[in-house]
Amino acid sequence: MQPAIDLRGLSVTFPTPSGPVHALRDVTLSIEPGTVFGFLGPNGAGKTTTIHTLLGFLEPTAGQAFVFGQESTATIARERIGYLAENPDTYTFLTGRELLTLTGKLFLLGPAVIRERADRLLDDTALTGAADRRIAGYSRGMRQRICLAQSLMNDPDLLILDEPTGGMDPLGRMEIRRLITARKAAGKTVFFSSHELSEVELVCDRVGIVAGGRLVAEGATADLVKPGQSLERYFVDLVTAAAARTEGVP
Amino acid sequence: MKRAWIVSTIVWYEMLRRKDIYVLFIMLAALLVVMIALDVFGLGQVTGYVKDIGLLAAWLLGWILAISTSIRQLPQEETRGTIFPLLAKPVTRWELIVGKWLGVWVVVLTAVLMFYLTIWGVVVLKGGAFNPLTLLQAYVLHAIALAVLVAIGIALSTRLNADAAAATAYVLTGAAFALAPRIPVLLAVTPGFRGMLLTGLYYLLPHFELFDLRRRLVHDWGSAGGVAMAGVILYGVLLALGFLLLAWIGYRRKRFSRGDLL
Repeated sequence: MQPAIDLRGLSVTFPTPSGPVHALRDVTLSIEPGTVFGFLGPNGAGKTTTIHTLLGFLEPTAGQAFVFGQESTATIARERIGYLAENPDTYTFLTGRELLTLTGKLFLLGPAVIRERADRLLDDTALTGAADRRIAGYSRGMRQRICLAQSLMNDPDLLILDEPTGGMDPLGRMEIRRLITARKAAGKTVFFSSHELSEVELVCDRVGIVAGGRLVAEGATADLVKPGQSLERYFVDLVTAAAARTEGVP
Repeated sequence: MKRAWIVSTIVWYEMLRRKDIYVLFIMLAALLVVMIALDVFGLGQVTGYVKDIGLLAAWLLGWILAISTSIRQLPQEETRGTIFPLLAKPVTRWELIVGKWLGVWVVVLTAVLMFYLTIWGVVVLKGGAFNPLTLLQAYVLHAIALAVLVAIGIALSTRLNADAAAATAYVLTGAAFALAPRIPVLLAVTPGFRGMLLTGLYYLLPHFELFDLRRRLVHDWGSAGGVAMAGVILYGVLLALGFLLLAWIGYRRKRFSRGDLL
């Protein structure tokens, strides 16, 4: 079976006026289908760069990124991906139902499938009552939920969540946890980037920790964290050590 | 290209709901009221005068609408962050460019059609008439010119922010409207290197005057020949396609900079 995500020596460098910035350095990672993978790292570690490369927004400077065996820059790779951005924003001039319908059309789904999925997702995200109101009138939480519903319109085999719980209230976080559990039960893969270590500990089968653009640890949570140690302690120790090691490396 | 069509429908929703297009209609309505009411130098009953002013207004308003709406399409997707969920779907950047172009073009075409119908109504009210075939030809060529203008706006906005793209587009297309038809006259009195520069400019600038049949309509010169029409349409289609290709080249590897990508 093809890995859901396969990164091979992935490096991304941004040219800047003050010299090149190495956002990712030689990241190699393979995630099997059906895994809930937590992708952790401090700010500026390379989490969003990795996600943007997986989605084909960025081309690798070196190495390759594959999604279900397809090169990440290929349009076909995105047919099986659902993506919820950090601080998601959307077309506020549309109604919730229009947004989901247009999303379904972009995946070339048939009208009956679009109608059925839109109704179900609106129901799942408690937005049925607001479905025909413009998103401009939605609260922040409602906007996050409609963006989440949008990311599920194609029933993706790989769901990429970039800091999905940032700014969410406890109920919203619980909703995200419930969603991730449901995706896993359906055999789908979830790639979950987060600062919220407690959330990651609760829902993820495996975690990867990135610091300074390098993947510094990867494995099952139970294998990485010693008994009696928290994931948070492990993360802080690892990232601090990685920062000390890479200091001075251009 | 089905996805390009779907992207274009997003543009239609936005333009209809943002309501800024209605401001132009109000401006046109105000202009027409003035045209109907005014009787400058006793010319109020001369329908040629009404046609001339009305068609000039349609060209000016179409030009403003085409540039002002096309240049903001891509930059606003980036600044509000909607580019990320959009391109996370199986939409290619070429489909995005074509979808945005098509969306703006159809809205501007519809607005200009309303202008033409309104002008036609005023002319009829004043007891005048248009040659229907010439009016249709004028509208078709105007539509092709708008396709080129929208493609220029989209192409400039792939690499410039909305303000810079607007300024550049207005200067470039304004110069093309005003200067290109006069270059042959200027060449007669501009020898040497400057003449060569002018010749180069003549071939570089889009020739929007070719799409402008206003004088034929105003002076009732009759319709244009089929071969000339086909030639001008082909020229316009190639120009629009060329600018769309430029837009794609400028956009296909573009990195987006909302927030910190690291």
